[in-house]
Amino acid sequence: MIAQFILSTLLAGILMYAWSEYARSPAIAVLAVFVAMAGLYFVWAPEHSTQLAELVGIGRGVDLILYIWVCLSLIVVLNLHLKLRMQMELITALARKIALADAQPTRAQMEQDGPASDFLLSGP
Amino acid sequence: MVSRSRVYVVIPAYNEGSIISRVVAEVKRAGYAVVVVDDGSSDATAEEARTADAVVISHPFNLGQGAALQTGIAYALAQPAEVIVTFDADGQHRVSDISHLAEALLQERADFALGSRFLGQAPNLPPLRWALLRAATVFTRLTTGLQVTDTHNGLRAMTRRGAAAIRLRQNRMAHASEWLSQIAASGLRYVEQPVTVEYTAYSIARGQTVGDAVLILLDLFARRLYR
Repeated sequence: MIAQFILSTLLAGILMYAWSEYARSPAIAVLAVFVAMAGLYFVWAPEHSTQLAELVGIGRGVDLILYIWVCLSLIVVLNLHLKLRMQMELITALARKIALADAQPTRAQMEQDGPASDFLLSGP
Repeated sequence: MVSRSRVYVVIPAYNEGSIISRVVAEVKRAGYAVVVVDDGSSDATAEEARTADAVVISHPFNLGQGAALQTGIAYALAQPAEVIVTFDADGQHRVSDISHLAEALLQERADFALGSRFLGQAPNLPPLRWALLRAATVFTRLTTGLQVTDTHNGLRAMTRRGAAAIRLRQNRMAHASEWLSQIAASGLRYVEQPVTVEYTAYSIARGQTVGDAVLILLDLFARRLYR
């Protein structure tokens, strides 16, 4: 009974998180709500998870939930990986801007542009 | 005929301090404008390239060859470049091939001239490297539909219009396939031109391996999963 209350509290937390996340990414929020609701249901009716597992050819309900959990975590990892790649593209764009702003000219270019900036630097 | 000072040779370099000044000096001696993109090297690559009087653009940290090429192209496009050439820093390309590529652009009215070692020559090409390059070529032909003979050659020339159509997003080595898919998507004309790629102990050590090829395939696959 204690485990069921603890799990229910955690899953209720996920529901609240999904609610707050809805504006940012509706797809993730709906998925999280669905997973949390399914979790709550199976926490209070474990025998139904066993029936469902037997229906799809898996021995025990816990095994079914374990397999689903592994799949979901892989999806989450992939999603994080893609997010990291997108961030890398932003970082690249930023680094490129900085690099281009700091481009070191050749001696010939410096002679062309040089006197003006020297004058500014050595001015009164 | 394009004035050589309007031909910008972009050389991406990562820890090539021991060879970069020689490569830059050789390209400069032929009269071309040289842009070295120092990709966050931890050695003296940037200083060496500056000593040889190249324009040096330094990434604040290492981003990869694709990113370095894109930075160099962005710089050249902001300058009065008429032809932009990409050239490897490890000394395996021949400076004399640059003018052949630039000529090919004009004569064939193309926007891209791609160097091919398989139409040209590749002395001392190790057999395993040969097999890897052939496999990469078959793969790229299948995925882009371009009938090219050498998809992973760092020596290419393009017009301003061609360069503006390229936007490399594969920071690392997977950019070679990206070039071809973007050339195909742009609908611009491309030609292949025989070039010589010389394999030295140095360039072989710096080249790609079978393990890298697997990572490249993963990169290409991951890129298709978003946007």
